[in-house]
Amino acid sequence: MMIFIWILQLICVPALSPLCMGIIKKIKAKLQNRVGASIFQPYKDIWKLLHKDEVISTDASWVFRFAPFIIFATTIVIGASIPLFASFLKNTLTGDLLVVVYTLALGTFFLALAGMDTGSAFGGFGSSREMTISALAEGCLILALFTTALSIGTTNLFVISNAGMLLSTQFFLSTILAFIGFFIVLLAETGRFPFDNPATHLELTMIHEAMILEYSGKRLALMEWAVANKFFIFATLGANLFFPYGIAHSVDTHAIVIGIIVLLIKIFILCAIVGIIESTMAKFRFFRLPDLLITSLILSALAIGLIQMQIL
Amino acid sequence: MNIFFLQFLLGILFLSIFYLHLAKKNFGAVIAYSIQSLIITLILLTSFLETNSFFLLFVVLVTLVIKVILAPIFFLRLIQRHKLTFSVSTYLNLPLTLIVLAGFTAIAHSQKFLSLTNIIPVHHALLSLALSAFFVSLFLIINRKDALSQAIGILSLENSIVAFAIFAGLEQSPMLQFGIIFDIFIWLVIATVFISMIYRHFGSLDTSSMKHLKD
Amino acid sequence: MINLLTSGSGFFLLLLFYTLGAIGSLIFKKKDEWANGWQSLFAIVGSLWGIFFSISAFMTGDLSFAAYSSVFPLLSFSFHIDQLSAFFIFVISLITLFCSLYGIGYIKHYYKKYSISALGFFYHLFIMDMLMVVTASNGLFFLIAWEIMSIASYFLVVYDHNDVNNTKAGFLYLVMTHVGTAFIILAFLLMYKFTNSFDFESIQAQSVAIPVFIKNSIFILALIGFGTKAGIIPFHIWLPAAHPAAPSHVSALMSGVMIKTGIYMMIRLFLDILQPIPLWWGITILIIGSLSALLGVLYALAEHDIKKLLAYHSIENIGIILLGFGSALVFISLGNTLLALFGLGAALFHTLNHATFKSLLFLSAGSVINQTHTRNMEEYGGLIKYMPQTAFFFLVGSMAISALPPFNGFFSEWLTFQTLLQGMTSVNILVKSTFVLATGALAITGGLALACFVKAFGATFLARPRSTEVAHAKESSLSQLIGMGALALCCLLFGIFSGYLGSLFKNIGTHLTVFRNISLPPILSSKINFIAPNNFGSVSALALIVFLILALFIVVLLVKFVINRNQKTKIGATWDCGTNLTQRMEITATGFARSIILIFAGILRPSIQNEIEYRDSKIRYFPKSRTVTLRTRDIYRLYFYLPLNKFITTLSVRAKAIQSGSINMYVFYILIAVAIALFLS
Repeated sequence: MMIFIWILQLICVPALSPLCMGIIKKIKAKLQNRVGASIFQPYKDIWKLLHKDEVISTDASWVFRFAPFIIFATTIVIGASIPLFASFLKNTLTGDLLVVVYTLALGTFFLALAGMDTGSAFGGFGSSREMTISALAEGCLILALFTTALSIGTTNLFVISNAGMLLSTQFFLSTILAFIGFFIVLLAETGRFPFDNPATHLELTMIHEAMILEYSGKRLALMEWAVANKFFIFATLGANLFFPYGIAHSVDTHAIVIGIIVLLIKIFILCAIVGIIESTMAKFRFFRLPDLLITSLILSALAIGLIQMQIL
Repeated sequence: MNIFFLQFLLGILFLSIFYLHLAKKNFGAVIAYSIQSLIITLILLTSFLETNSFFLLFVVLVTLVIKVILAPIFFLRLIQRHKLTFSVSTYLNLPLTLIVLAGFTAIAHSQKFLSLTNIIPVHHALLSLALSAFFVSLFLIINRKDALSQAIGILSLENSIVAFAIFAGLEQSPMLQFGIIFDIFIWLVIATVFISMIYRHFGSLDTSSMKHLKD
Repeated sequence: MINLLTSGSGFFLLLLFYTLGAIGSLIFKKKDEWANGWQSLFAIVGSLWGIFFSISAFMTGDLSFAAYSSVFPLLSFSFHIDQLSAFFIFVISLITLFCSLYGIGYIKHYYKKYSISALGFFYHLFIMDMLMVVTASNGLFFLIAWEIMSIASYFLVVYDHNDVNNTKAGFLYLVMTHVGTAFIILAFLLMYKFTNSFDFESIQAQSVAIPVFIKNSIFILALIGFGTKAGIIPFHIWLPAAHPAAPSHVSALMSGVMIKTGIYMMIRLFLDILQPIPLWWGITILIIGSLSALLGVLYALAEHDIKKLLAYHSIENIGIILLGFGSALVFISLGNTLLALFGLGAALFHTLNHATFKSLLFLSAGSVINQTHTRNMEEYGGLIKYMPQTAFFFLVGSMAISALPPFNGFFSEWLTFQTLLQGMTSVNILVKSTFVLATGALAITGGLALACFVKAFGATFLARPRSTEVAHAKESSLSQLIGMGALALCCLLFGIFSGYLGSLFKNIGTHLTVFRNISLPPILSSKINFIAPNNFGSVSALALIVFLILALFIVVLLVKFVINRNQKTKIGATWDCGTNLTQRMEITATGFARSIILIFAGILRPSIQNEIEYRDSKIRYFPKSRTVTLRTRDIYRLYFYLPLNKFITTLSVRAKAIQSGSINMYVFYILIAVAIALFLS
């Protein structure tokens, strides 16, 4: 039984993440009065790309060739280390908050290097912009997640999600403030509005797309899949750390099924929010983005300051 | 009412004052102010439900009418007439403003103000939060250059003082509440008249251009 | 043999190796290869012996011995090697071993240009004195060793004296280190006045006799003095000038080990000798650590000289070490010795890790500089094709310093974060706000360091070459590769076995006096995991790396060989929008960091200067050349040191008036001095 749950935990993130992307695109299409592609289109895109030839630049080195595999592998490892539908899994080995944050940073590191490796103008400034945003966003992410860690008293993600409803305790205000901060970082790290436009290829508006411009074939498929994985991971962290309702607390088929369904509903709500934001808001000018990130940082710092340690 | 609901309401009050610092459009600021007033109304309502004094109910209704409905309408009409869509810039840029706000919140929670916020030990968290809302509103008045934001700042200062008073268990005397309402009413009238006069004379509401009073 | 290892004679044998190395290389003045071979051999043998000695000293315990009693009453050449000193001897010897291995191949570039025997002499003197600094048990003896260490390193910094910048850097270094030494002397004199001794043990026994005001003054003086050596802001201005000037294997030693001696002495003074301490000492060190970390990495981002960039990162990492150390001091003053031990462990682990990966980075940078004859990153590019192994080692160093798993930097930052988290749970709002500030600073620093090393590695090794020198670059020689490779392996191993190392640090801590009387539950590690106190969190290094490699392996297998079996890979040109690809189309190091510099413009004060030279200066239509100079202003020099300098110079000029040159005046001075002496007696 436990083996089955672990296998489910491993394949859940890569299996469901393209669906999230499809749902967001569908919501945006509907808000623009179009029919839009089917929500399973990203699966078909990945399949198509995996079966194509590819072209690699003469200037590229092994960093360019290996980066997609490394990035995808890190998303798989993180996907297995976060609480998805079961909070009773005892992952004291890799289930730590800082491990998740810094393994994501590992992925960003290789992505930025791959962008610079081909020596194209787009890749270079894409890496520069991405590292600028990521440098600040990583700090905000750590502080936002530390709020939940301090409220519960541990940095193990599974124990945090096991602790139950944060909203009905004295940590209410801190949780709300930290969630707002976390949501801003989610938009920053996954390259959604107002930080980056995932649908554009204009040099004025690209950040992530600029870095993967030179990729094709199976490597491009892995990169796109890895971005979808990253979005799913962030959405899960937001859903299960700040609002851990419905997560399975015990090894019970009934509870696990409810856990999976509740997870899907929460992810769907987050996708809807992101889709609505992308349809109603414009992308910010690049130098307005640090203001937004500083707001997130101060909100998280305030949240930590407001944690009243009454019940020690 | 149980304390978590009160904390929820006060949290929204604090967030709305925080948002006033970040808002670039005056419309958003006015809406934030009306949300604040709604929260104050709700808090007064909970205090009414506890004490069951009818005068308090009357006060709640008057507050609702004046603060939540009339005041924002006045401001919105002002904005429309003089086309003040965007608020003028601030003295400190955004990151520094936020750091100062965090500093004020930390100070309000520190040992220095413990005697103030421990009047009712059960409400300690609420009182600290109301005190930090007080400081944040004060900073809004200092930081902003345009008169409209300063007016909203004074009004939210008033809101946070009322919240502090309620949680500190001050006597809900009828005269106190009546005085507040009357004061707001007169303030609104004067504010509208004066702001129109200022705008007509100086051409803008930017206080930094109003330094030369003698023409 | 065991007796030899664990006694004072073992230590003297260690010093003897380096003495022989120093004197011997002076003999081979004319023969460069012999000098190189002699000094490298003795350095390697000495450091190997040092590693064995420190490990055995660690396991046996306190060692106190004296060389010989001197004729001077207050000076005694006594050593005291406890676990902390043994740890630092280990760090020094480990880094020396690999730097000397590297040096065998590196020094060949200095043949016929400079005197190799002088290099060997000062190198050995430098290492020997570092060893004496971390083991000295008498204040005066410590100062003698400290002074010789500074002078030896000065000569190493100005070794490449054909470049005038190096001599200027050396002079700045000399002045700053002596200013620091002056503060240290003051601190020691104050301690002597109230405890009547220079011996560290007797000072510790009588530390309660020192009044509070004097203790605080000693703290400030020692902080400034040792902080100048360690490189905390604002006493850091010598670091970015001196470290690039020295030969690369010496830069590695200076950056990896010498600045840690300042940290060692701070630990010795504040945690060991001057207990009990007030709360504000720890808070001050926390704030200084946060500032140094943030500002260090910001200045590093603005640099395009590769060694200056690495020097600024040393400042950043000293800030991180001070964060761990400061939290230990705060916890001790609050009475929580368990958490203090944890904080000290974090600081010591980061010391070890920083020594490893910073040396690795400096050595790789040295190879690159040797092949391309320039330190300017804007002229590199594409070196990964010409120096693949060096590029790989630089990548390992970059990943370690950016705290990426599975290398060792991540685990020491994990420990520091856990310490700071524990601090954030305190009730005192001042302590809580300081810890929140420190955590925010550390989090942002980690992100900015990552950005900086993407820039450094990307601009140096990736894409196309930006200058013609790069095409002549060859891979480094075998000894250099061995030195770098061993350090890279250390980075990985220290990361994987961090659980084991955790129990080592607990061992060090419990032997300091302040921790001696507490009973400890097993914390810090259970051989597989790192476990934080109060069961706050745990991480397993081995599981992480195994999981990562396994996932990578499965993904590569599935995608390349199962799904994508029949597809081909074509090699083509980078998309060039229809024009020819030139080197100007790649991003430069300056361009990469420009966005971040503009965001932090309030702190960094960037400036742009435009100069245009026209073909005809009367009719200014056609420019002949344009120069754009981008600069970040060094505000410490401008607003702090230059005014101070000017003030002292003006004062000196005024004081010159005493030397009037006439004998009558001088006899008059003698008369006044005699009168005053008679009056006072």
